[in-house]
Amino acid sequence: MPYFRITLLRSAIGLPTKSTGVLKALGLRKRMATVYYPVTPDVAGQILRVKELVDVAEVDEPLTRAEMKERRRPDPGYFVEKRGGALKKL
Amino acid sequence: MFGPFRLTNPLSGGLLWKIPWRLSSHQKYRQRQRLRRVDNVVATIDSALAKQGLSTRKLERWKTEMPTEQEMLPKDKYTVFDRKVKKYRKGIHKVPKWTRVSQRVNPPGF
Repeated sequence: MPYFRITLLRSAIGLPTKSTGVLKALGLRKRMATVYYPVTPDVAGQILRVKELVDVAEVDEPLTRAEMKERRRPDPGYFVEKRGGALKKL
Repeated sequence: MFGPFRLTNPLSGGLLWKIPWRLSSHQKYRQRQRLRRVDNVVATIDSALAKQGLSTRKLERWKTEMPTEQEMLPKDKYTVFDRKVKKYRKGIHKVPKWTRVSQRVNPPGF
């Protein structure tokens, strides 16, 4: 089932109440927040109302909050070959 | 003479903001990027709905009435109709919230 991935890029400060209301209904509370909704005409209409403010992509599966956070984590620059505790036992 | 507190007309009192009458080339570049971004959003929604054989009235209307960034004339990208201005055109940067509103078509006859 395809989903819309909607990210709020521009805030709706100073825009008509309808834009603010749509963002609230979509659950976009602050910039760079991302939400997933199934591809339906209802959601499409909501996105069209705030199309200047959001970035939209079509994805197959929605990501959970934890998964999204894990993807943002930068590469640590090292990898662990062996743990210290494992060495002691040998 | 120099520095943040120099004596200039806007600083030495009163309300004097000068907005240039036309956009700079960089403002125009960013305006084109914004137009293209909106086009992309509409195209994404359209293709996603079309895969399921769906569409909405609002979307169809946008597709028939609104030109894309590439179809627009420079005149329409960077200026808008205003009945109070000489020759009926003013820079789009004079429109309130102009970076977050879609203003692409002219009234009939203009």
